Parts: sequence; structure tokens; C-alpha cells
Amino acid sequence: MEFTLLWAVLTAAALAWIGLRIWPERVPAHALDRLLGAGITALVAGRLVAMIAQGVNPLTAPGDIIVIRGGVSTAAAALVFIATLAWTTRSVRDALDAVAPATVLALAGWHAGCVWRGACLGSVSDLPWAWALPGSQATRHPVEIYTATALAIGAWVVSRLGWRLWARAGAALAVISAVRLLTETLRPSITGGPIAWYIAGVVIGLIAPLVARAPWGPGARAPT
Amino acid sequence: MVNVWASWCMPCRSEAPLLDRAHAEYGDRVEFIGIDVQDSQAGAKQFLAEFGLDFTHFFDRDRVIPNHYGGFGTPITFFFAPHGELMRTHNGVIDEQTLAINLDDVTRLGE
Repeated sequence: MEFTLLWAVLTAAALAWIGLRIWPERVPAHALDRLLGAGITALVAGRLVAMIAQGVNPLTAPGDIIVIRGGVSTAAAALVFIATLAWTTRSVRDALDAVAPATVLALAGWHAGCVWRGACLGSVSDLPWAWALPGSQATRHPVEIYTATALAIGAWVVSRLGWRLWARAGAALAVISAVRLLTETLRPSITGGPIAWYIAGVVIGLIAPLVARAPWGPGARAPT
Repeated sequence: MVNVWASWCMPCRSEAPLLDRAHAEYGDRVEFIGIDVQDSQAGAKQFLAEFGLDFTHFFDRDRVIPNHYGGFGTPITFFFAPHGELMRTHNGVIDEQTLAINLDDVTRLGE
């Protein structure tokens, strides 16, 4: 049953590859491998945190880790993704900016993968492009398609930004968080969703370039 | 909503906390029923003690009910319209958004 998720992952990987091809500037060597490695590590970490939050002990139920559909902690996955990418590229300074547009495009692919998973729909809508689930009278927003489209546009915007340290990486985090935040109201939810983390993502993304240029930041000029 | 589970089923453990939350959220509008299949009574009791799942459960050792309604593997989640017609079947672990949309559809049919 997780094979549909595998198709969504492959869609994300394909778009990451395309992103690295169309925005190759300053991309580190083996960038696709590193992106995929960071993505898989992030999924596992996010799954572990979600299991612990749900009261499931990963040590007594290690097989549950692969049940991605059981829930993944977005915040933990995002932090581990950034940390793994920084570690594998050996440079937290430049690599994050270089792969930022491709990362946003890959995430657009993951959301577009809802087509394979049959899970594109959100809240009820009467708009002409709203879809209905089989057997349902209620038509719904194709919220995951909205998200994928907004992220694809966001990836292009991020790729157009200049090379001020962490400007692209910060913008990517802000775009991803803002798109999720704006579309969250169209997603029926039981737990309420990690709204606070999305707000934090927008704020951190916007201040990242300022932090990079702070006197104690990684982009601070060495005294002459 | 009828959820087919078993104490030996690893994915069932993953979706149990979500079902518990969903029951707290929708339990006043949607009837939740659990069907424990191909299981031991002791294992089932331990599973329920671990995860709560404070709704009605039935023991179906020979898997008669899911075989009757279709679907494959474990877990399975069936959604029935208020008049009893099977509306939708979800094979495998159900995610939060899919569960919420299906429960929303059931409540809309009941209005």
C-alpha cells in the first residue's frame, strides 16, 4: 500500500533532478545524491519523532518506521534535512543556497504525487475546478495541486534571487512554510496541523540572510 | 466507520493514535467500530489497553467481515453512509487528511 507513496517520492526525485539541471549555478558535486540522502534521512527522523509523539516506542516497534503514511513530523524532518545537507556538502555557507530552488521544486513534486496516492483533495468547494471523491456529493479543492503549483512558482522565484548568503535558502524555507500555512485552511485536519512550525519557518526563513550577515554570523567579513 | 485491525499488525499500531483522536473529534456524529481479525484475545486486549480506542470492537478470528465487504490486507477502513451502504474502502494505513475527508463525507450525508 506504500507503493503509491513511492511514486510520489520518485516524482519528487525527478523534479529535484530537473531543478538541478535548470538551475545548476554553484551546485556542489553529487548534489542529487546528497539531496536524496538528506530527504530520506529527514523522512526517517520525522517518522521517529512522530512515532514518539504518538506514544509508539521505536525500539519495541522498529518496523513501524517505514510506515510513512502513519505520520511524519514536519518540523523534525525539516531540521534534519537542512542539517544532513549541510553536513554532507561540508558547507553550511553556500550549498544550501545552491540547492534551494531544486529543493522547493522537489517538494512541489512530492505534493503533485497526490495524483498517484489519490489524495489531492481538501475542504469542500463549489468552484468549477473542484473535484469529488467517488461516491461523494461534495466537491472539494484540489489543495495538493494548489500547493504543488505554488511551490513550483516559488522555486522559480527563489532561483531568481541574488547570491547574498542564505538569501535563497532562507527564501526557500519561507516559501515552503508560507505555502503550507496558506493552504492549511483548505486541508481537513484532525490534529490541527503544525501551524506554529509553519509560522516559525516563515520567520526563520526571512531573517536567515540577516543572521548570516550579523557580526557573529557565517557571512561576517573577517577583520582586515 | 469500521476499522479492521489486529494486534500483530505493525501498521495498525501506527494508525491507532490517529483513530483515537478521530473518535474524540467525530465520535458524536459518526459511529466507530473496530474489527479485530485473526488475533488472540489476549493480544487484542493488550493492544486496546495500550492505545485506548474507546469504541466498540468485535473479535473476528476468521476474518469473515472484511472478506464479506472486500478490501485486502490489514488494516482496512470502511466508510458507510448513514443508511448503511458501503461508501468507500481504504486499504492500508490511513493518513490524517484522508481520514478527515472521509469522516466529513459521512457526516455530510447524515445531515
